[in-house]
Amino acid sequence: MRASNLQLVKSLSYLKEERKYSEETTIESDGFTFSRGAVNELVGSATVGKSSIACSLLAKLTQNGEICAVVDTVNSFDPCTAILAGVCLENLLWAKCNNDVEKAFNSTDYLIQAKGFGAIWLNLSNVSLNNLRFIPRSYWYRFRTKVRDTPTIFLVTSGAESIAGSAATNSYLLTRKQTVWSGIGRFKLLREFHLRTNSRKQFQETIFSKIECSYNDV
Amino acid sequence: MSKLFACVISDNKHRAELLSVAKQFAYRIEMLEDGILFDVSGLEKLIGNDKQIEEDIKKELGKHQIFGSVAVNSHLNTSILLARQNQDLSSKSNILSNFGKLPLQNLEIDRNTLGVFNALGIKRIEELKMIPSDQLISRYGQEFRDVIDVICEKDQRSLTPNLKENNIAWKFELDESVTNYEQLVFLLNRGLDVLFQSAKSYGFSTEQIDVCFGLINKTEKLYEIKTSFPTLEKKFWLKLIDLRISFETPEAEIISLGVTLHFAKSRPVQTTLYAAPKPTPESLLLTVNKLKKLLGKENVGVPVLLNQRLTEAFTLDAEKLPSGKESKESTTEIAFPIVAFSYFKPPISAQVLIRDKRLIYLKTDRFCGRVEQYSGVWKANSRWWNVVWRTNEWDVEIENGGVYRLCKREKDWFVVGEYD
Repeated sequence: MRASNLQLVKSLSYLKEERKYSEETTIESDGFTFSRGAVNELVGSATVGKSSIACSLLAKLTQNGEICAVVDTVNSFDPCTAILAGVCLENLLWAKCNNDVEKAFNSTDYLIQAKGFGAIWLNLSNVSLNNLRFIPRSYWYRFRTKVRDTPTIFLVTSGAESIAGSAATNSYLLTRKQTVWSGIGRFKLLREFHLRTNSRKQFQETIFSKIECSYNDV
Repeated sequence: MSKLFACVISDNKHRAELLSVAKQFAYRIEMLEDGILFDVSGLEKLIGNDKQIEEDIKKELGKHQIFGSVAVNSHLNTSILLARQNQDLSSKSNILSNFGKLPLQNLEIDRNTLGVFNALGIKRIEELKMIPSDQLISRYGQEFRDVIDVICEKDQRSLTPNLKENNIAWKFELDESVTNYEQLVFLLNRGLDVLFQSAKSYGFSTEQIDVCFGLINKTEKLYEIKTSFPTLEKKFWLKLIDLRISFETPEAEIISLGVTLHFAKSRPVQTTLYAAPKPTPESLLLTVNKLKKLLGKENVGVPVLLNQRLTEAFTLDAEKLPSGKESKESTTEIAFPIVAFSYFKPPISAQVLIRDKRLIYLKTDRFCGRVEQYSGVWKANSRWWNVVWRTNEWDVEIENGGVYRLCKREKDWFVVGEYD
């Protein structure tokens, strides 16, 4: 009986193998942790900084010479603000899916199969909930298995509710606490967003962070 | 069989011509900084002694109008030194052929030691040779052994072919013109055999093969066939060539067949110990091509900013692949993430309630709510000389909603995107 229970315990070598590519990349300014070889998720409704955090991650990786990919489901990606965030556009592959969720998933599958991308950002923000609910849960487990032995950070951003579920290693729920404007009347300017982030996976204190507007020329 | 080396020292302007001359005499060729060195061993039977070989090389140089000095010797270093010395004396008549008469300046001896030899009256190689070598080594150290080896004509160095050829070619002229390509398959098969064997002997592979048909109407039909990964699999290449030619058949009878195999560029597997992970180039190319087939050619590529005044001053360069180069401008640390913008494609049509020139309420198919704060109007326009565009934009925060960019074009309102 005891021996059969021990069989359920994973051996140390297996655990080491599992963690082979799990070095973590952290955005220090916000305390977000994104794991390599795993599914990472950012969830939140409108204007909660999902794209900003994703661009910040892409900036960090592309500046180091890693090749990253954006699977743009609804063609919403803006290279101008991405470059302001520090993204090196030369190291970025942009796949526009023209509002076709199925093609977005097929594209993601191809990109994961290529192995070696620093990050793959599957942007499902602004995709209707009905469309997202059609996605079988098994897809996320398939992605999790395929991405496991690669150095890729697989990042999914989606609207109001989590879609990757338990397949995601890191999942953050973002909410906007405050919007800061400066000036008055006709001279008002959007300045920054104050965010509150709760991790849905591990016990972690609530993160309070801010993202700033940039009015620099590109 | 004794070795024989030829060295030609000439201007750098004629490097290509020098190479073509050298290729007529030898296949083992080493390009020097100031000339060319090649192995002419065995040519004694074909041409004659070293003097006759030298004369032949000079004749060929003359045909190509190359001015330079030639030396043929059984020792590699000796041939180089003689050619270099004769280049300096080319204007004079007394061209040296005796190695012993060469001045010591031609050898790699440091200036101080050379000064000592000059003071002692030792100015030529033959004079230095008379000093016992063990005495020279005890005085100037073991490093001086290299100089002694040169003056004693002991070749420590061997000829190192350093030609970097990018391709190899094979050609066949037909006795009679052929109308059908299928009749040439066995010839093509043989050509590929020859080329693949040569490529293997060089240690290369290929990603591109060009097939060129000479046609009876004195034109040529060229097929460039590329793959996303290097391979020397003959069946695979034959299939690709067959498919390509059957898709685009030559318009006239074929009189000659040429195949050029381009070597795949060799690349390091890992550039540094801490190199960033990247997909291999062939894997990246294959993935991009798969994506292009799935999403359309124009929808996959690298984002590029446009230096133009447009509402969306960026585009997608479908021809470009991500380079994977480390950014040198990455030194500026951004303290906080920058607010990113997400476009709505197509823009969402909106209804806006305005009271006392103030935005009060925003309603769309997706969301609606009271306007809490807004900034603007931001006016922009351009291209007045062609297709005029003019926009009035506001940044709008909706109660219990997001922050959007609202745009008015003529009388219609649109939400063009969201700050996220």
